[in-house]
Amino acid sequence: MRFQLALAACLLTGAAHAATDIDLFFPVSVQGKLANEMARLVEVFNKDHPDIHVTPVYSGSYDDTNLKTHAAIQAGKPPAVVIMSANFVREYVISDEIVQLDPLIEKDGMTEAAFMDQFWPALRLNATEDGHAYGVPFHNSTPLLYYSVDAFKDAGLDPDHAPVTWQEWIDAATKLTKHEGSTTTRWGLMMPGTYDYCGWITSGLAMSNGGEFYNTGYGGEVYYTQPSTIGAVRFLDNMVHKAKAMPEGVTDTNAVTTAFFQGRAGMMILSTGSLSFVRDNMKTPYRTAFLPRSLVNAAPIGGASLILPKGNSPERQAAAWVLIKWLTSPEIAGGWSRFTGYFAPRIAAYDLPEMKTFITAHPDAKVALDQLVYARGWFSTYNVVGVRKALEDGVQAVLSGRATPEAAMAKAQQEADALMRPYVEQTALKVPE
Amino acid sequence: MVALTGTTERPVIRTRVRGRVRPWLTAYALLLPSALFLFGFTYWPVVQVIRCSLTVRGFRGAAHWGLQNYARLFNDRHFATAVVNNLIYAAGTIIPSLVLALLFAVALKETTRLTSVLRTLVALPMLIPLVAAASLFAFIFLPNAGLLDHYLAKIGIAETNWLGDPSLALGSIIAITVWKNCGYYMLFFLAGLAGIPQDLLDAAKIDGAGPVQRFFRITLPLLGPTLAFVLVIATLNALTQVDHIIVLTQGGPSDATAMILFYIYQQAHQNFDVGMASAATVVSVGFLFALSIVSLRSLERGIHYET
Repeated sequence: MRFQLALAACLLTGAAHAATDIDLFFPVSVQGKLANEMARLVEVFNKDHPDIHVTPVYSGSYDDTNLKTHAAIQAGKPPAVVIMSANFVREYVISDEIVQLDPLIEKDGMTEAAFMDQFWPALRLNATEDGHAYGVPFHNSTPLLYYSVDAFKDAGLDPDHAPVTWQEWIDAATKLTKHEGSTTTRWGLMMPGTYDYCGWITSGLAMSNGGEFYNTGYGGEVYYTQPSTIGAVRFLDNMVHKAKAMPEGVTDTNAVTTAFFQGRAGMMILSTGSLSFVRDNMKTPYRTAFLPRSLVNAAPIGGASLILPKGNSPERQAAAWVLIKWLTSPEIAGGWSRFTGYFAPRIAAYDLPEMKTFITAHPDAKVALDQLVYARGWFSTYNVVGVRKALEDGVQAVLSGRATPEAAMAKAQQEADALMRPYVEQTALKVPE
Repeated sequence: MVALTGTTERPVIRTRVRGRVRPWLTAYALLLPSALFLFGFTYWPVVQVIRCSLTVRGFRGAAHWGLQNYARLFNDRHFATAVVNNLIYAAGTIIPSLVLALLFAVALKETTRLTSVLRTLVALPMLIPLVAAASLFAFIFLPNAGLLDHYLAKIGIAETNWLGDPSLALGSIIAITVWKNCGYYMLFFLAGLAGIPQDLLDAAKIDGAGPVQRFFRITLPLLGPTLAFVLVIATLNALTQVDHIIVLTQGGPSDATAMILFYIYQQAHQNFDVGMASAATVVSVGFLFALSIVSLRSLERGIHYET
């Protein structure tokens, strides 16, 4: 009897296997219970699409996901869909390992431009290359200023007026800093200075300081020694060593959030992707504000896009495209945004009634959305992790009081140039003789 | 088997020839499975790594043979930093953990109820995977809020950024490693101590040798083989343990905790520079190989092996 049941089960699943099997690599980089929610979403998709069967594969951090995707492509077994850190997309285009989406979009009766118009303008830069679509924005973020209402009141600051300019910012941070003997009981400002975060925040400050930071159209140039970047790093240096309002050395994300939750940091810079995490863990009132500006309001985007690696069969590719369209539909994108704190890349998501209710109920999420108007691209180059690390090593040395901004950035530029050299030699420097 | 039974009536000479051939074949047949795995999973990758280290590949350029990967490696400031850090790390972990392990082993040599409990406590960190230990220490080292700063504050030592200060980060990593490995090495020393004949120590005692003299004249020389073994293990650990660096610092801040193995990982997986990663692997493994041989040889010369 049991055997017969098992046999029947086998036959049934056998029949179900006529569906196209595809796998989705997804990273979880910010704090939260995202993995379970992703599994739930995929289950809903599989139920709604009997002819497709998606297996979600949790693939670690953004960097791990990149590594695993590269390894899988090289082994000849590329995943069908990957949620890839938006600034890695350019490298896949350079190495020709990614499917151009224009033909798929055109098959649906749309133009590339009309398709991309459905997403916030700031996100298009990292999803397209030379006018062609390569990624579909899935969840995105910008750096945001979080501040504690109690700390502001305690320091005699008005919590209704967050610092807007760098001058106001450093003044507020100085006032918020509290000492007790030789120990600092409350820091004015804290920010993660570890790899990845450090480069992201620094690029935001440089952009706010009027800079471009990297060449948005070409993956072989970064502008670390430009005045806009030097000024941004000098500002961080002043925050630590002149105002003494930020701890010296490198602080990791855990230490930053712990300090903020315990009232030992008046302000912090963190991703909008951490909104839900902060909302769940902060016991006293807090608010969010734009990243303060030097010359212009600016913030780089972060987050991830959905991509199709090359080397899959047409059936798998078609099924993957269905999944991508489903995941970025206004309803799903809106739900994922409310769950995680990332903003939804799809503009139409915010027209849904449940999204409108959510935004009214959570003014902190509205700030993140409003800042999008000023958002810029996320710096992406050939060898981007190494190029980013070169900058971060420099900034970390400045934060630790071991180098001047000028010297640190000169070294960072030199290292970044060396890392991009092989690409530059084959592209910009390869000219007809 | 059928063929074998059929040969019993044949002349003696032929049996002898077959007798010489058969054990030879059987031996190799028995070794074959292991040999396949050894070649497939040990020697073949070694050959591959050496081949990759000699293959120079530019962006979109054709690959060719050469020593450029090695030249780039020796000119790379990050590699030099990683080597220096690794040497400091090796000295900073091997010497204290060996000395501590030996002290613990001698102190807890006698088996009583108390010493068994203490031995377990000292050996306990060995049971925790390095990744888990590193995650625990992330909280212990948390500036101000962490366990360490909490108690240091009581004796008036201000907030310290243990992992985020380039001048302290390597020391913090070393401290974790000593805590983690010391108990493991102690077990080897305990086993070594158990092998030292009690009558030697008793004889020395009767002759009027004090505890210090007995330790340096009898215990330590007789522990020679154990010491040599533990030293090699500790040296290998210093080069091959990287988990806590990945969890805690990612080699930072500013390369302060970058080690050779982590450097290889970065070259291979962050910069996708397989040539450099392979060259660094060849250099470091070659160095380790040479070091092991030299240290084992020179130590063995001074070791009293019991016969």
